[in-house]
Amino acid sequence: MDASSAMGPGDAGFLTRFREKFLFLENPKYLQHLLLVPVLIFFIVWNVIPLLWLVGLSFYKYVLVTGEPLKFIGLTNFKEIFGSFEIWHALSNTFFFVIIGTLSQTVLGIILGFLFWDSKDLPGRRFALTLIFTPMILAPLATGSFFKLIYDPVFGIVNYFLKSIAGVTIDFLGSTAWALPSVLIVDTWMWTPFMMMMTLAALGSVPKAELEAAEVENLSWYRRLVHVVLPHGKFILMLGILLRTIDAFKSMDIIFTMTGGGPGNATELIGITLYRQAFNAFTMGKASALAIIALLIAISFTSIYLYILQKKEESM
Amino acid sequence: MKKSRFFMVLFICFALLVSVSAQAGRVNLKGKKITMSILGIAGWYPSKLGVDMSPAFAKYAKKKWGYDVKFTFEEAPFTSLFQKASASLATKSDDYNIIVSDSQWLGGFAAPGWIVKVNKLLESNPRLKAIKWYDQIVVDTYMSYPLGSKNYWGLPLEGDTMVLYVRKDKLLDPKERKAFKAKYGFDMPKTFEDFEKLTMPKFEKILAFFTRPKEGFYGLAQHTSKVYDFVCTAAHNYIWSRGGRIWDNKTGQVWGILNTDQNARSLAAYKKSLQWMPPGGVNYGNSQIMEAWNNGKVFCAIMWAAVGQYMMHPKGGEMMIVPPPMHLIDGKGKPNRVYSMGGQPWVINAFSDKEHLQVAEDFMEWWYTEDTQMEFARRGGNPVIKSVLDKKGFEKIKPWFRAYKFMLRRDRGRDFWHHPMYSVMLAKQQEAFHAYISGQVKDPKVALDYAAYHLQKILYEHGSTKKAPPKEGAKIRLK
Repeated sequence: MDASSAMGPGDAGFLTRFREKFLFLENPKYLQHLLLVPVLIFFIVWNVIPLLWLVGLSFYKYVLVTGEPLKFIGLTNFKEIFGSFEIWHALSNTFFFVIIGTLSQTVLGIILGFLFWDSKDLPGRRFALTLIFTPMILAPLATGSFFKLIYDPVFGIVNYFLKSIAGVTIDFLGSTAWALPSVLIVDTWMWTPFMMMMTLAALGSVPKAELEAAEVENLSWYRRLVHVVLPHGKFILMLGILLRTIDAFKSMDIIFTMTGGGPGNATELIGITLYRQAFNAFTMGKASALAIIALLIAISFTSIYLYILQKKEESM
Repeated sequence: MKKSRFFMVLFICFALLVSVSAQAGRVNLKGKKITMSILGIAGWYPSKLGVDMSPAFAKYAKKKWGYDVKFTFEEAPFTSLFQKASASLATKSDDYNIIVSDSQWLGGFAAPGWIVKVNKLLESNPRLKAIKWYDQIVVDTYMSYPLGSKNYWGLPLEGDTMVLYVRKDKLLDPKERKAFKAKYGFDMPKTFEDFEKLTMPKFEKILAFFTRPKEGFYGLAQHTSKVYDFVCTAAHNYIWSRGGRIWDNKTGQVWGILNTDQNARSLAAYKKSLQWMPPGGVNYGNSQIMEAWNNGKVFCAIMWAAVGQYMMHPKGGEMMIVPPPMHLIDGKGKPNRVYSMGGQPWVINAFSDKEHLQVAEDFMEWWYTEDTQMEFARRGGNPVIKSVLDKKGFEKIKPWFRAYKFMLRRDRGRDFWHHPMYSVMLAKQQEAFHAYISGQVKDPKVALDYAAYHLQKILYEHGSTKKAPPKEGAKIRLK
């Protein structure tokens, strides 16, 4: 017998020896750590390192296009951001967009969710749901582009009806007063289905037995909602609100397509300002500082929600 | 006999010497196969033309130098091409051997040493050295950084100027002409020559006359969008033509030059012109202008000559292309016409190896041959070499060539800042100018003060000027 074949992986003895060698991995103590390794590597490479890089870069002056070396400037980028009226303005636009957007999407989503709750026998239900969910799956750039046409003051359908009914036309995306509400409507159109989906999921989590009991007790719809539905469904709903808040805070694509942040700074959200700093002005240090501030705000949102949820859980 | 033989030998030796020395600096590529990559501007016809025509260079190279060349192309729209190119060049990559740049980006590419300084090329290559550009503005706009210096970094792919696209059917309609004369007491211009002499006050009356919202028809389409450089491009037409400046190229001073009362009046005049644009006129970029024009929504459009190919058939009418109107200095003085320059240079990646650099040089040599430039013109590109523009019949090749040639002069065109901080400066000025035209800021002087302060600060911090921005400027807000 030749020595190389005795050592080869095809050999049964080799496999046995290999198994014996790594037998210790069958011990859950080691296995659980080993299984974590791929996730940890992924997390470190794609999250931790870029984040540290971002934090580091925020203390430097670095304009990509000058080709000049990075210059350490301490907290100057942060000072400039906090002293910039334009960035505060973008932040205030963003908060308006997030609060009004998430609120209206949640209210509308809950209403729609209740309308479709327990409606399995409704004719055309599936078709209606498909239609309702469509906006959510469209590409934001496409949505932005066709709403730009819908809002067009000359040949847009909205102005066509406005002109026919009231004899007026509104330059929705060209007016500083109308632009932000107009993009907010598009965002609501796009993301209400998401909140409706979360509502349906929340309603689905309510045990049937409790609902039947409520029916036997002849509880009013309000009491059913507060005492039966909400205690079970609120976690899913809160998760939906949390996801929408974070997503709305990062909004950029639809608005950029529709208005480019204009007219003036009327629809300039923090996401657009960040894009401009990074990819129009190429001021990478300042853009990194702004990204960190945005990240901290997003984390604050998350913490507030989690805190509220936790508090309610404790009080129950 | 002996004497003549001696001279013959001497002549042959001399010819050999000349031939050898001419080839001395050349990388020998005979028999090699080279792949060249070009980064162009997506959706921009002249850039596409340059790219479309480049395979013809392969035949030229094979015949003249005996090597095979194949091209690969990548594209990015105007708004992201600089980002794509600079991200690649910043990493010293040779992904793109030749890049179609925008003229204002020369400083950004040149200062870090990402692109080849072409002075040597222009000196050592006899064919390139022999090129005669149509006007000094070609050199200023597409080649030099700092602007107006003799440091050359780009070679023009195509020239471009602002021209005026006019609805000929409306303009020449006898009923319209009669009605106009009855209302304003003078005749509308009729010919190219008439438009050469047309001044802004008269032009504004024509715009007002053709603005008919009830018919869904408006006087003018021009750039106004906050995206890329659109609002600045159009605002500069007003500032420059009315006698203003945007900075001092030599000292780097902006404060006190950009934010003058005269420039404020120019910016106000620009905003005034929005009343003759279709509703939604504060978001007009290239595509919106083309859309308004092609759908027959406007009487005229101040637009780049380079897109003439796409503006030939306005819905329901005919068109003519003429020079844009003259402004009056400060709105009341002598007539003057200085419009923004467009067009794009080729730039050569400095990180390419010797072989690719040689091919890039050969490519440029081929690009400026009269045959190539004529073919470029026939396909709708705007050539820049004197021999082609002066050729008899050139102006008739394409409808916009006459107006393009008219505008391609140093006293009729000007370019943005050629500066490494261009992108940072542009972002700030766009923000300020758009805030004013959209009504967010009521006073044009506030928008100018804001832009001037920030531009001065950017240049000062970069070390491009000794003049610090004034402290009070930090308090200016766009509100």
